[in-house]
Amino acid sequence: MFENTLDNYAHNNGLKDTNTLFKVLFAISTMLVSLISTSPVVPLTITLVMSFLIIFQAKIPWKFYLKFLFIPFIFAFITFIFMAIFFGVGAHVLELGIFNLAVTADGFNRGFLVFARIMGGFTCLAFLALTIPMTELFSELERLKIPQIVLEIAMLMYRYIFVFLDEAMNMYHAQETRMGYISLKKSFKSMGMLGSNLFIRTWFKGEKSYLAMQSRCYDGSIKTLKEPEELRSIGAHNFSLLITFEALLLVGVYLTGSFRIF
Amino acid sequence: MHIMEGFLPWQWCLFWYIVALPVVAYGVIQMKKITDKNPESKPLLAVSGAFIFILSSLKLPSVTGSCSHPTGTGLGGVLFGPAITSVLGAIVLLFQAILLAHGGLTTLGANIFSMGIVGPVVAWLVYKGIQKAGGHPLLGIFFAAALADLMTYVTTAIQLSLAFPVPSFAAAFNNFMYIFAITQIPLAIAEGLLTVVIFDYIMKLKPDILENLKVIAPKVKEKIQAVV
Repeated sequence: MFENTLDNYAHNNGLKDTNTLFKVLFAISTMLVSLISTSPVVPLTITLVMSFLIIFQAKIPWKFYLKFLFIPFIFAFITFIFMAIFFGVGAHVLELGIFNLAVTADGFNRGFLVFARIMGGFTCLAFLALTIPMTELFSELERLKIPQIVLEIAMLMYRYIFVFLDEAMNMYHAQETRMGYISLKKSFKSMGMLGSNLFIRTWFKGEKSYLAMQSRCYDGSIKTLKEPEELRSIGAHNFSLLITFEALLLVGVYLTGSFRIF
Repeated sequence: MHIMEGFLPWQWCLFWYIVALPVVAYGVIQMKKITDKNPESKPLLAVSGAFIFILSSLKLPSVTGSCSHPTGTGLGGVLFGPAITSVLGAIVLLFQAILLAHGGLTTLGANIFSMGIVGPVVAWLVYKGIQKAGGHPLLGIFFAAALADLMTYVTTAIQLSLAFPVPSFAAAFNNFMYIFAITQIPLAIAEGLLTVVIFDYIMKLKPDILENLKVIAPKVKEKIQAVV
């Protein structure tokens, strides 16, 4: 499944030994800069920098990355067109000739800005998703003093998502080998059976694994060998790099603040 | 309905975070109470969360920097009440943002409000209302799940048109609602039916849990067991 390969890349990539906290700080602060910028220049720069880091530093195959980027790109692009046509007031730049629709300068600028921000923010998220495994993220969340019970449920949930997918695949193959999807009518029936049984089966499996964990001294937290990293462990070199990068972006936001295409 | 990363201006990001946080905090307290009282409800909580995750990942694009999909929060809302489901919803949305880059971290507050708070509150109110009126639990769960799904989308449309009130709030709201209505009404009905089937199974196989969570009355349980 798609989630599986994503998880694989998160565990095996060129940046997996880089300090987790450093990666989290880097992605989130860049995302925030992309969010506050008022011109499309800085978010598009961020998109390029992040894509560069993901492909050349984290060594994620570019084909996979482009496929990953394709869906949000389509989303963002449709949004851009939608806003250019419907969300503008003032002078018309381009008459479409049907239904009295027209692209306005105001709408075009707004749409392009939102498009750039989506791409900037999305590449930051992709950086997080592709370079940090979930288990390490949990230890970072624990540092943020998130209540134990929330982390516990989150961890169980993370496991059950894969149980869900596993069960679904197994049941689907079992049905398929018994001609469950041979006609449209049968497909509907099989899908219904699959959907209804899936929840119950996952629940029972989850309950079993919970009991198994409890009988092995599970008390609400899974202990791992890795010590949570100190803020200091990022190192002066990396830290100053981070500050410089964000400061440059902020200067960029200030300088290009009033940049418009039209 | 996941509003994409970067779609909202930062003022609205902050606003929805501030609105959503107290509810989630209250939900955490409630969750702690329930799991301290009966720890065996933990797997059900986590499975409901995983269910929300799977359903709300099945997205169809719709034209608004957002998307259409079933939400799955109706079931959780009925089983555990809106406060706890809001915590589940928050965790799911965080996972989707970080794991699938679906939704976003900055728009997390807005997404929690529409999917994690409004949806379950509607589901819970509808279910309790139909219970009070003496309707069958399955009828209640159908309308709870379907309406929770629909109201989630109405909330998203409101959030989007508040953030981009161009040319006016009402006009923007109409645009957004028009697009959502096409994709969302069939999806809401489908989700209602799926939730009915699942709830029916839970009632037959594990009525005790439903009774402990005060979802069905003891009488209903006896009737079901007589049938089985």
